[in-house]
Amino acid sequence: MRPTAAAALLAGLAVAALLAQQLWSVGALALALLCVCLRAGRRARPYLWGTLFSAGFVFLLSPLLQSTGWHVLWSGPDVPVLGQLDVTTEELRIAALNALRLAAVGLAFAAYALLLDHDRLIAASTGRRSVLAAALATRLVPTLERDASGLVEALRGRGLAPAGLKGHAALLSPLLAGSLERGINLAEAMEARGFGRAGRTRLPSPPWRAVDYAAVAGAAVAIVVGALWL
Amino acid sequence: MALATVEELTFSYPGSAPALDRVSLEIEPGEVVLVLGPSGSGKSTLVRALAGLVPWFHGGRFAGRVEVAGRDTRRARPSELAGAVATVFQDPEDQIVLAQVEAEVAFGLENVGTPPSAILPRVHCALEAVGAAHLAGRRVTELSGGELQRVCLASALALEPRLLLLDEPTSQLDPAGAEAFLERAVASGAAVVVSEQRPATALRLADRVLFLDRGRIVLDAPRDEAVAWLDEHRPAWTASPSTTALQGAVGEVVTRVAGARFAYGGGPEVLGGASLELRRGEVVALTGPNGSGKTTLAKIAAGLLEAQGGTVERTGRAAFLLQDPGRYLVRETALDEVALGARRDRAARALAEVGLAWAERAHPHDLSSGERERLALATVLVTEPDLLVLDEPTRGVDPERKAELAGLLRAQAARRATLVVTHDVTFAGEVADREVSLGAEREAIAVVA
Repeated sequence: MRPTAAAALLAGLAVAALLAQQLWSVGALALALLCVCLRAGRRARPYLWGTLFSAGFVFLLSPLLQSTGWHVLWSGPDVPVLGQLDVTTEELRIAALNALRLAAVGLAFAAYALLLDHDRLIAASTGRRSVLAAALATRLVPTLERDASGLVEALRGRGLAPAGLKGHAALLSPLLAGSLERGINLAEAMEARGFGRAGRTRLPSPPWRAVDYAAVAGAAVAIVVGALWL
Repeated sequence: MALATVEELTFSYPGSAPALDRVSLEIEPGEVVLVLGPSGSGKSTLVRALAGLVPWFHGGRFAGRVEVAGRDTRRARPSELAGAVATVFQDPEDQIVLAQVEAEVAFGLENVGTPPSAILPRVHCALEAVGAAHLAGRRVTELSGGELQRVCLASALALEPRLLLLDEPTSQLDPAGAEAFLERAVASGAAVVVSEQRPATALRLADRVLFLDRGRIVLDAPRDEAVAWLDEHRPAWTASPSTTALQGAVGEVVTRVAGARFAYGGGPEVLGGASLELRRGEVVALTGPNGSGKTTLAKIAAGLLEAQGGTVERTGRAAFLLQDPGRYLVRETALDEVALGARRDRAARALAEVGLAWAERAHPHDLSSGERERLALATVLVTEPDLLVLDEPTRGVDPERKAELAGLLRAQAARRATLVVTHDVTFAGEVADREVSLGAEREAIAVVA
C-alpha cells in the first residue's frame, strides 16, 4: 500500500475514534490500531508506553476535575479552587471514553511513525517542506531513545548509573542539547545539498493501485460511520 | 581558469577570534587538495566557506571574497551552489535526511532539479561507484557507520559536482575502508578538497597540501615539497606506524575473556568465541576491520555487556570511554562533570592531567571537540580504574594531540590495564605494548606484536 493511502486510513481511523460516542466502538478502534502497532515489534515499546501513560493520566485525572452525573461512587475532601472532589459513574464513563480516544489517536500516530515509508510520503506530498519537517520530527523519538541509551551507557562506563526519576530527569537537559546540536548539523547538511532551492523535481513514484483507492475510501467511510452510528 | 578562488578571507564566528585570517588560495579543476592542521586551526571553516555555508549558515564577521564555479558566495546561497559543489561532513548520522538509502541519495538530485527520468540511474551509478549498490533498498538505521559514510559519499557523487568537499570523511572507517573511500572520491574527476586527521592515505593521493595554523595558511605546496616540510616542521603528521615493542613491566591479570560469544537482539553473531587477556601495566591495542566486533568485545571486557557464551573474569574497577564521548556530557561545568564520579579535589587534578585546568568553570558544550574528548577522558581517569577501555579515542583528534594522548596513557600505564580500540595504526604503534587483531571471521584473535 502507498504510504499516502496508509496515512489517510490511519488518519480516518483516528478521526472516527474522536467522533464516536460508544465505549465499545472507540475501544475496538484502539484495539485494531494496537494490533497494527505490534507489527513493529520491540520498536513499538516507547510509543506504547507513551500512549498508555497519557491515556492512563486522562482516565485518572479527569473524573476529579469534572462535575457530571448523579451516581456518586466516592466523595472526597473540599479542595480550594476545585471544590469538592468526587467520582461518579458518568464521570468514569466519560474519562474512559476520552482515554480510549487519546489512546486511539496515539496508536494511529505510532503506526504512522513506525510502519510507514516517510521517504515516499515526502516524495508524494505537495507540501514537501512541512511533510519533511513532520518526518524528521517523527524520527526524533527513536533518535532520543538512542541518545538516552548512549548517555546511560556512558555513565555506566564511568561507574555511575542514573537511579530513579531524579536520576533520569537529569538526563533531559543533555538530551535536549544533543538534539539541538544534531538539528543544526542536519539543517546545515540539507542546505549544502540544495534544500529550499527553486525548481526541484521528484523521484518518479509508482502509480496508485486498487488497494490504495480502497484505503482512502475506507478512511472516508470510517469517519462517516464514526460520526453517525458509533 | 580556477574553479574556486579565495581572496584575503577573514572570518570570525560570533564573539570569537578569527577562525580564518587573510586566507588566499585557488583551486584548479580536477585538483586534489589536502588540508591539514591542528584541531581548531580553521580547516572545517575553510571547507564551509568553499560550500558557501560560511557566512550564510554560520553568522559571523566575513571579509574578503570566495568565488566558486564563477559565483560569489556572498551572493549565492549554499543551496544555489549545490550541484556544482557537494560536501561530505564528518559525522554521517548528522547529515542523513531520509530513511531509505535510495531516497537519501536522490535527495540532493531532486533539490537541484535533475530531470526525474535521470534521478534513479544517477543514484544507482553513484552507489555502484562507492561499492554500495547492495545497500540501495536498505533503511539507513540498519547501516553501520562505515556504510553510512559510503552512502554520504554516494549522495555527493550523484550530484556530479565540480568541487567535492570532504571534511574528515573517513573518521569511522578502518584503514582499508578509508583508502577505498578516498580513492573513489579522487576517481570521480572532481576537484577534491579533503581535510583529514589520519593523513597517510590522503597524502599519497593529494596533488597539493595546505597546512593551517590558527586560521592562517602556513604551507601551500605540491605534495612532495609538503611532505619534506612536514617531516621537518610537523613530524607527527608524517609519522609512520612504530614497530618497536614498548613492553613495560606487567603485573597480574585484570581481565580475562575466554571464548566470548555475542549477538545483538537475536541477530547474527557478532562475536563467535573471542578471547582476550589484559594485565596491569600493559596497554593493548584492539584492532580489526569495521564490523569485526571490536567494540562489543571491549564492552564485554569492561562489563558493559554480558557475554552470551564463554567466560569473563575481572578484578577491580573498570571504566569505559565510548566513541565520540563529547556527546555524553551531562553537567553544566567541566569540574562538575568530572566530580560526578569523584571528590572535587581529585576531579580538579584529573582536569589538570588532561590539560584542562583552565576550563574548570567552562560549560562542556562551549569547549572545542578536541577539548570535549579530553574532558571525557578526565571523567574516566578520575575513577582510577583497574581496567581502562577507550573506544576510538583518536577520532577527530589531530596527530599532535594523539601523541599527547599516547604520552598520557603511557605515563599512567603502570597503574592499570589499558585497552584501546582503534583503527589508527599509527596511534596503536605509539601507545600499545601489543596489538590484538580481531579478524573478519570474528572468531579467532591473533596476537600480532
